[in-house]
Amino acid sequence: MIIQLHRIEVISKKDMEMIDITPHVEKLVEASGASSGIVFVSTAHTTSGIVVTEGVECLERDIPAHLERLAPKEPPEGAYGYYHNRLLDFDGRLGYNAADHLKSVIGGIQTFFPIEHGKVVRGGRQRVYFVEYDGPLARTVFIQIMGEAGA
Amino acid sequence: MKGGIDFHTHPVLVREMVARHPGLAAAARETYYCGNNFQPLEVMLAEMDIAGIDHAVVLPIDATTSRNATVYTNEQIVEVCAMSDRLIGFASVDPHQPSAPEQLTRAVEELGLRGLKLDPAMQEFYADDKLAYPIYQRAQALGIPVLFHAGLSWAPGSRLKYGHPLRFEDVAADFPQLRIVLAHLAWPWVVDAVALALKYPNVTLDTSALFFDNPKDFLRYAMTQQVPLTVFERSLRNQLVFGSNNPRIEIKSMARAVRGLGFSEECLDLIFRRNAEKLLERKP
Repeated sequence: MIIQLHRIEVISKKDMEMIDITPHVEKLVEASGASSGIVFVSTAHTTSGIVVTEGVECLERDIPAHLERLAPKEPPEGAYGYYHNRLLDFDGRLGYNAADHLKSVIGGIQTFFPIEHGKVVRGGRQRVYFVEYDGPLARTVFIQIMGEAGA
Repeated sequence: MKGGIDFHTHPVLVREMVARHPGLAAAARETYYCGNNFQPLEVMLAEMDIAGIDHAVVLPIDATTSRNATVYTNEQIVEVCAMSDRLIGFASVDPHQPSAPEQLTRAVEELGLRGLKLDPAMQEFYADDKLAYPIYQRAQALGIPVLFHAGLSWAPGSRLKYGHPLRFEDVAADFPQLRIVLAHLAWPWVVDAVALALKYPNVTLDTSALFFDNPKDFLRYAMTQQVPLTVFERSLRNQLVFGSNNPRIEIKSMARAVRGLGFSEECLDLIFRRNAEKLLERKP
């Protein structure tokens, strides 16, 4: 049985950004020696996400934009506010990212795919994205591979 | 409008520096008190890009006597500035040490640092204590600005009493050529800080105030309700500089909040760039 946990660093450069990490996942799986099994991908952060969708630039714009509509950084005047906008005494800084936490909850933080014949099994149009909601930041993504070694 | 200057940042989370100087981790976590992850410098620079900020002043605090600690030494500030020409280094000296004026001279003349940061709350001295006067004399002679922490401090053990704006009045009056910046709008004493700036042309305020809610709502409260925005726009337009207080809050968030207050474009250019450029000119 092969069990490997990898940590990769992803550096975002924008407030919100979708970064395709599919090549990282595939390379690690192919190098793992696992022939049949499963690969989990999870972000280490609560203001980021992991999303699987078609790898096209238009969706890379639409998905963050729609999440911004669902959880706006600045809610409409007088509509509602966020309790998280306060001093976080355990961090020594202000929490001005409630909306980014909410986007992470809505969009999800992990995914998994099967491994077959030593490769990730995914739909032809599916890509694995790390999604930044509170950038720019250096982020960690966990990639865990579990499977049987090939013959 | 050309790119701006952030007059108030602390490089305590710069990962490369913590890797080189492991003691900086304790400075960040315990003395300054910030629990966020250490980040590569390129992240701070990317955030400056988003915020329309070209340069950032990076500040140390020498709290050797009061805390047995420094939050960056002057040499470490030089080191981090060597990593990017977008960083502008200030010095700090310990007011309790008799050698402080000489250390300041060395920091400016030999290390090339461009201003002085003092934090009365963390360094445990009153700004108008004669103990610190030799430092002010030296700063005035060197022609560099002095940035004081003023108002509330989040740092553990730092008492508010050291940050009241009236403790800076004697300094402003006794050193009329010394260019003084009071940080954080000296919140909660914004009215007092504004009064000081109105009376003393050598006093500038920085915008790095955020103590509850969010940047937009807090600054709207402090800069339009505690004091009308017109006071800043009309009377203090040459005595206000943009500061974020990063990493306690993101540079981008504070910049957007200041730009959204309703200042004229001309005044925003003063706040974000021209006033800071003037302060950074040496005037011995």
